[in-house]
Amino acid sequence: MAFAPVLHSEWIKIRTLRSMLWALGAIVLATTAFSALAGLDPEGGDFDPLFTAFFGVSFGQVAAVAFGATAVSSEFQNGALRVSLSAVPQRGRWFAAKAVAVGVPALAVGLVTGFVTLTVGRAVLGDKANGITWTESVRGVVGCAVYLALMALFATGLAAVLRSGAATLGILIPFLILVSFVVGDASGGVADFLPDKAGQAVLHQTTEGSLGPWSGLAVTACWTAAALLAGAWSVRRRDA
Amino acid sequence: MTSIDVQDLTKEFGSKRAVDHLTFSVLPGRVTGFLGPNGAGKSTTLRLVLGLDRPTSGTATVGGRAYATLDEPLRHVGALLDAQAPHGSRTARDHLRALAVSNRIGPGRVDEVLEETGLASVARRRVKTYSLGMRQRLGIAAALLGDPPVVLLDEPSNGLDPEGIIWIREVLRRLAREGRTVLVSSHLMNETASFADHLVVLGRGRLLADTPMRDFIEARVEPRVRMRTTDGPALRGLLARHGYEASEDDEGRWTVHRARVEDIGTLASGAGLPILELAAEEGTLEQAYLDLTASEAEFTTTPVQPQEA
Repeated sequence: MAFAPVLHSEWIKIRTLRSMLWALGAIVLATTAFSALAGLDPEGGDFDPLFTAFFGVSFGQVAAVAFGATAVSSEFQNGALRVSLSAVPQRGRWFAAKAVAVGVPALAVGLVTGFVTLTVGRAVLGDKANGITWTESVRGVVGCAVYLALMALFATGLAAVLRSGAATLGILIPFLILVSFVVGDASGGVADFLPDKAGQAVLHQTTEGSLGPWSGLAVTACWTAAALLAGAWSVRRRDA
Repeated sequence: MTSIDVQDLTKEFGSKRAVDHLTFSVLPGRVTGFLGPNGAGKSTTLRLVLGLDRPTSGTATVGGRAYATLDEPLRHVGALLDAQAPHGSRTARDHLRALAVSNRIGPGRVDEVLEETGLASVARRRVKTYSLGMRQRLGIAAALLGDPPVVLLDEPSNGLDPEGIIWIREVLRRLAREGRTVLVSSHLMNETASFADHLVVLGRGRLLADTPMRDFIEARVEPRVRMRTTDGPALRGLLARHGYEASEDDEGRWTVHRARVEDIGTLASGAGLPILELAAEEGTLEQAYLDLTASEAEFTTTPVQPQEA
C-alpha cells in the first residue's frame, strides 16, 4: 500500500474531530495568554526577555500533549483500532502516518503560536524586550514550533505504548507541570536532560545549563524518537 | 474463487485456549452461519482471519493469502466486528471517508453504501446520536465499502429493529447470490436459520460441525409427520406393518416418528385411507443446535484425556 492514501486517511480522522481542532487552538491561546501574563510582571534577577515572551509554552505544551495523546488514544476505544488496521494492515506504516498527521499540524500550529506569542510578549514587555535580537526571535519561533511538535509526538508514542489517553495525560501533565517546575528549577545535572527542560533551552536568550539551544532540542528529539519507536513496536507486536 | 481457509488455527491468551486447532473453509456463493455460545472463540477466529490477533499456531488465509499481505484489503474483505467502533464525535460520512481514502476508494462509493444501508439522510449526523441499529447499519456500510468478494460480519442483527432484521437477511442472501463469500457469526438460532446455507459450529474453541444447514438439522432432529384420518385403527395397522412408530393424541391427531411426508402420504393413499390432514414437522436449527451442545456437554464432562505432547 502507498503511504499517501494512509496519511490522507489519518489526516481526515484528525480534522473531523472537533476536540482535536480545539486542542490545536488551545496551544496558541494558552501559550499566548500565559506569555502575556508573564510579561506583565517580569522577574528581577535572572530576567530573560526571550523566555518571558515564550513563557506560555509551558502551558501550551499541555494542549500539544493532549492533541498528540488523543489522536492515538481514540484508536484504543471500542475497537476503533481494529477498523483502522483492517483497512491498513501494515501497522508500521499506519503508525508512521498517524505520527505525521499529528506532527505536521502541531508544527504548523507551533509556528503560528511562536509568532503570536513573541509578538504579544514583545508588546507587553515594551522596552524590556529591546535586548531580543532578530536571530534570537527566529530561533525562538522555530524552536517553539519544533518543541511543541516534539512534545505532541512524545505523547503520541507514549499513548501507543500505554494504549490509553487518560494514562498518558495522567503521567505527562503532572510531570510537565510539577516535576519540571519543582525539580527543573534546581538547574544543572540530570534535570537538564528531561524532555521538556532540555527542549526549552531553545526559548532562552542565554542558557546556563550544559545544553545549548539546539543541542537541547536534539535531546528532546531523542526522547520523542524513543517514545515513537516504543509506540511503533507496541502497535506492531500486540494483538489489536 | 475467494474462500476463507482456516488451518489448524490455535490462539491462546495466557493459559486459556480461545481457539483450539481449528480447521474449516468458508466457500463463496453461500451464507455460512458461524455459531457457538458466547466465549466459543467466534470473535477471536474472525480477528485471526483479519490479521488483528497473532495466532499461537496455524494459519488463516483469504483467497490463499494472509490478510496482512493484501494490498488495499477493503477491496478484498469487508468486516464488521464491533458496531461501537466508529468514533462517536465523527459523522458517519467522515468515518467512511477516512476508511475509503486509505484504500483509494472514491467518495462516490461512500455515498452509495450510505444509500444502500439507509443512512443517507443521517450521514452528516455524529455517530453518538445513532441508535445501536443505526450503528450496525454503519458497520455494514463500512464492510461493503470496497465491494469485497468476502464479507465477515460479527453479530450483525444485534440491535436491529424487525425491519432491520429483514433487511440484513436480504442483504446477506443477495451477497451470497452475487457469488461472494459470506461468514456471519451469531448466537441467535432462528435468525441464523433464516439466512444461512451452511454452518460452522464452535464450542470451546473447537470445531463441532461444518455442514450444510439442512443436513445439520436432519441429522440431529428426527423428522416427524403430523396427520389426521377418519379411520384411526386402519392407520395404526398400516403404520405398524411398515415399521413406523406412531402415537395418537386425545384429539385424534397422529404423530409419526422418523418419517417423511412423501413416504407416509404415498402409503396412506395406496391403502385408500381417507386423510384429513398431512404435514411435515420440520426440525428447527435450535433443536439441532441444542442436541449438539448437549452431546458436547456430555463429552466434555468425561474425564479429560492426557494431552498429546
